[in-house]
Amino acid sequence: MNPSIIEVVNVAREVAWLPWAVQYFFLIGLSVGCFLLTTPWFVLRRPAWERASRMALLGALACGLTAPVALLADLHQPGRFLNFYLHPNFGSWMSWGAFFIPLYLGGLMLYAWLALRPDLKRLADAGGRWTGIYRALAYGGHDSLGAIRTAAVLALSGAALVALYTGMEVMVVRARPLWDTPFLPVQFFITAVAGAIGLVLVLDHFVGDGRAVEDAPLLRLLAATQVLVLAVGAAWLLLGITGFSPRHAEALAQVAPSTAWRITAVWATGSALATFWLGFFARHPAWRLTAGLVALHSAWMMRWTVFIGGQEIPKTGAGYYVYHLPLGHEGLLGIAGTAGLWLTVLILLISVLPWAGQRRAQA
Amino acid sequence: MSDDTLLQSRRGFLRALPAITAGVALPMGNATAAEDKHHWAMLVDVRKCIGCQACTVSCIMENAVPENSFRTIVSTYVVQQQVEGRMTASTYVLPRLCNHCDNPPCVPVCPVNATFKRDDGIVVVDGDRCVGCAYCVQACPYDARFINHDTNKADKCTFCAHRVDAGLLPACVETCVGGARIFGDLNDPKGELRRRLDAAKQSDPDAIKVLKPESGTRPNVFYIGLDTRFQGRVDGQAALWRPSEHGA
Repeated sequence: MNPSIIEVVNVAREVAWLPWAVQYFFLIGLSVGCFLLTTPWFVLRRPAWERASRMALLGALACGLTAPVALLADLHQPGRFLNFYLHPNFGSWMSWGAFFIPLYLGGLMLYAWLALRPDLKRLADAGGRWTGIYRALAYGGHDSLGAIRTAAVLALSGAALVALYTGMEVMVVRARPLWDTPFLPVQFFITAVAGAIGLVLVLDHFVGDGRAVEDAPLLRLLAATQVLVLAVGAAWLLLGITGFSPRHAEALAQVAPSTAWRITAVWATGSALATFWLGFFARHPAWRLTAGLVALHSAWMMRWTVFIGGQEIPKTGAGYYVYHLPLGHEGLLGIAGTAGLWLTVLILLISVLPWAGQRRAQA
Repeated sequence: MSDDTLLQSRRGFLRALPAITAGVALPMGNATAAEDKHHWAMLVDVRKCIGCQACTVSCIMENAVPENSFRTIVSTYVVQQQVEGRMTASTYVLPRLCNHCDNPPCVPVCPVNATFKRDDGIVVVDGDRCVGCAYCVQACPYDARFINHDTNKADKCTFCAHRVDAGLLPACVETCVGGARIFGDLNDPKGELRRRLDAAKQSDPDAIKVLKPESGTRPNVFYIGLDTRFQGRVDGQAALWRPSEHGA
């Protein structure tokens, strides 16, 4: 900082992508990551992955169904989403997102339905108040691996496109050097997968029977993601420090003077190292739950730092803008509301659809 | 001297008032036909700016800009420097506004084509179409855009397009006390804007500068007297006063 220049009057631009955006990128990333974790059982039929994949499907649906609501809320008037389809600009990544999201969610729901049909039939056969509905939903209850795999290809295409567009949408913003890096889509993806593993660990603890982690190598996979997180972070830092990439050097120069940013960097590194350690040494269920929660926290923190922290860096002015989290719907209430909606969707899904524990109870 | 030339600065406008008054009764056919040829731009002579913020206020009044939001503002800095062995402090002022770039980064990112560049070079937002996603706000390298809390849509300087279309000057140019803002048509070689630009270039090839030239946006707001320390992101101590609360 040049101490000989003092900014006396200037405008402070507010954060324009609100915490809603953080919630959306967090939830859609978790959904995509969870979907990938469903494939070892539902597509590849690896028995060791059954419990984990079932929890992952639950997570993919709960997060996938909640995420677009946060996105709509960020438009201030949800009905405006129609303009995305009435006046699309195919030169904009955000415009493509309006088509990729329904593709992914449509594919995911079709895939989930096909995967759960046999279990729905079992619920129908068990009798009860909802027998008719379950029988209709089961639609014969066939376990059609070919159909599941076809739907998986559709959902996988959507997931890949969602992962691509969410990363590119932010990466192409040249006005923000911190965002304008090819590492960003990679970081979004890796942390999304790590967060998804964390979510499966949490769901396995609270919803499942706690054995998913014993059967599938979830913790090792989580540790591997942290190696990648640290490697990508180190590469970004190296490019910035050496000046090999002027854009990364510029981004580093913008954040390096800030104490808050330095603390954030230490925090993120510490979290990754802690998750890595837990991935190898967590044996007690409580430590596995801790690993899951830390991974989820890291995925959310990464997005908060990129979006909210990134918008605290003025493009022309000196120093940093100061962001105070509002308590209303544009801030804390929005975060809490999204979390509440996610929990509600999760409870509904657990209540009406057959998941691992219930399936075993029925069998 | 053409009517266009007369309109290109506040003083010119005042001098031309009698001609304009007489001209309103004349058919506008020729002016309409010439509209396609305009390329509106602004020259800010920083040396003449006194930092009075009259432009800031007039813009707010003209465009009903919500409280604590700004389409234009005069950034004000205190610069300490050694002069003849003594530490002195001076004020540096820099009027900022949308640069109406020829390569505007805000346009291609808009997911619904709501923001676009008119044929006369002015970058505007179609409020009926804008979804308030703020992608353009992120893409602008000049922090010139914001979300209007009254409309919840993207907002920015329009060069007072509604006034320009009616043959008037932008409000900020009209009210500039020091005559620091010169608005005009780049395509008019005899216009005051063009003449001022050409004269400045003749005296010093580097006299005319734009903000963040390295970003490749090709701004249409030009500066005379722009200190290179303020050309990009200012390296200095943060603002002592920054309006940030909004009335929402």
